[in-house]
Amino acid sequence: MRVLLVEDEQRLAENVVAALREVGLAVDHAADGATASLLAEQDVYDAIVLDLMLPGKSGQGVLGDLRQQGLHTPVLILTAQEGKESIVQLLNAGADDYLSKPFDLGELIARIKALIRRGKGKATSLLTLGDVELNTVNQTVRRSNQPVDLSPTEYRILEYLMHRPRAVVSKQELLEHLYDFDWEHHSNVIEAHISNLRRKLDLAESEPLIETLRHRGYRLRTGDIS
Amino acid sequence: MRSGLISITRRLVLTVLVLEVLSAIALITAVAVRERNLEMRAFDATLVGTADSLMGAVQDAEDEHDNVLLDLRDLRFNKNAIYRVEDESKKDLGSHGDVMASFDSYSSSPGFHNATVSGKRYRVYVIHGIRVIDPGAPTGGATHHIIVLYGMPLGRVWHEVIEAIRFFIFATALLLGITTVIMMWCIKRYLSPLHDLAREADGISSRNWKFEAPSSAKDTAELRPLTDALEAALARLQRAFEQQRRFTSDAAHELKTDVAIVKSSLQLLSMRRRTLEEYDHGLAVSLEDFVRLEETVQRMLTLARLEHVPAGTLQGASANCSLNKAMEEAVHQSSYLAKLKQIEIAFMAAEDATVPLDYRDALLLCSNILQNALQHSSKESRIHVSIASEAQNVQLNVRDNGEGIHLEDLPFLFEPFYRGDPSRSRKSGGTGLGLSICKAICDRAGGSIQISNHTAGGAIVTVRLPVISKRESEASPRSLESIK
Repeated sequence: MRVLLVEDEQRLAENVVAALREVGLAVDHAADGATASLLAEQDVYDAIVLDLMLPGKSGQGVLGDLRQQGLHTPVLILTAQEGKESIVQLLNAGADDYLSKPFDLGELIARIKALIRRGKGKATSLLTLGDVELNTVNQTVRRSNQPVDLSPTEYRILEYLMHRPRAVVSKQELLEHLYDFDWEHHSNVIEAHISNLRRKLDLAESEPLIETLRHRGYRLRTGDIS
Repeated sequence: MRSGLISITRRLVLTVLVLEVLSAIALITAVAVRERNLEMRAFDATLVGTADSLMGAVQDAEDEHDNVLLDLRDLRFNKNAIYRVEDESKKDLGSHGDVMASFDSYSSSPGFHNATVSGKRYRVYVIHGIRVIDPGAPTGGATHHIIVLYGMPLGRVWHEVIEAIRFFIFATALLLGITTVIMMWCIKRYLSPLHDLAREADGISSRNWKFEAPSSAKDTAELRPLTDALEAALARLQRAFEQQRRFTSDAAHELKTDVAIVKSSLQLLSMRRRTLEEYDHGLAVSLEDFVRLEETVQRMLTLARLEHVPAGTLQGASANCSLNKAMEEAVHQSSYLAKLKQIEIAFMAAEDATVPLDYRDALLLCSNILQNALQHSSKESRIHVSIASEAQNVQLNVRDNGEGIHLEDLPFLFEPFYRGDPSRSRKSGGTGLGLSICKAICDRAGGSIQISNHTAGGAIVTVRLPVISKRESEASPRSLESIK
């Protein structure tokens, strides 16, 4: 999952970026409103964390432009302002959640995850598909009640696919949503991770869980399982 | 109308009524006096006329002794009247009423007299006359000396006067009543703009400063100064209030951000077990964040302290210092940063520049201005610092060779947390309190601070502070001590 953090305070941004990466999220950082709008409009983010007081274009402006373009990326507002009115206004303008500074990093992470979940149409942190069980809090995976040991990237690919069970997900999409700008990435990387995932997840007797559609991407096989 | 309050309406009405009553009393008195005089004159004329008639009624008795008698035919008298007609032999020719006592007192002197007859006040008139009987007779006739006294009770006069007074009192009372009603109505009507004004003013609160004096009040000559003053005062208050509110909100934002950084640094560190090196680094970074928070708090407290003590008041004996020394130290403190940016600071000190500032404040002022100049200077440039004493002032100029100041920023430079360029994050702009602190220091010392663009480029900060002469500066500590 990839998150855009819009925060002009350098030190705070550094800390939040580091924390989000620690929990396996890909994070891009924008320090001003104009950059934020530019990045958000690419529609590669699963959630946006938006500070209101920004140099140049304000957070409200970024949010307004985003919604005007019909983008539904969940937005969490960071605010140092107390005013309830402005919060109501922001929620009405298309924000999905807010957190006032100084916030708790743990709470911020939980809220971002909840937003991502909701954005994908899931209500709980436990994703299940057939006999595959993925816990997004502990980041653990079980198949047929047996724990499966995945690397962080493998976990992230599986999580992303589990969020979109019947859809075809292209390599490009996976790259966009799983890696931020700070990562050196290449589409071969995805292929390698997918093959590792198959090796770890697939049971001997059944069809491979992850289906490859030539030139199109990957799909979680759901029909015969569920 | 609430009781216990002074009511202009009531006072006005009362004043007018009292004045009316007083003039009515004066009028009634004048009328009474005049009425009495007129009545008295008429009364006296009646007395004289009747007495004359009585005298005329003394007739020849037609007997052999040339006697006289009183012929009262054709004469009418008031039933309370008294009279007595006597001849020289004190023979009573005719009398009426209880007249003897008055007659004994006044018959010898002709004219008017006031008498009391059986407890009532009377006015009597006495005439002496001569009646000659048969003047054609050979003996030359008989001459009789007649005394006539006629009197009437004064009650009648007073009755008339009292009637007149009663009429006037009634008229006055009616007039007072009508006046009161009309005045109350008028005052109520004329004061309605005041009520309009009060209603409008009632709508003012710290959330709603909108105040527009109703035109009814604005068009009233007596209320115009009030509406103008109200509007001006409210505008000033609103500005001050907004400024305060902005300051509070900005200060909260600033503090919350700094706290958020410290908190997130520590939370990030404790997210999982880390190596010793990671902990070391994390703690060092957290400490840096904390120092920044501390700096922000420190600056806010400094500003609060400076603004709390009223402008122009000195505190304690240490309140004088040399601006030269303070600037020297500030230049010394900034030398590291200056060297880093390869900026040369040229400093020209004055001979004597003792200013009414605490040394700490003077240093804060100098270093803030210098930091500001360094921040806005381009690399490898020069900063000119000069201190010069004028007649009453010390003038400090700090000129940098940076990009200068945008005209639209000029009015807000001294506002707390104002950072000129909005695209500049708080990172590069410090806390945004430096210039506010400078202004507070200058204001408190009774001086001034200005920033403008130099014609040759760059910004120039000009500080004027009242100079304290050597003698004064030596004497003042003692005098301050003695005041304490």
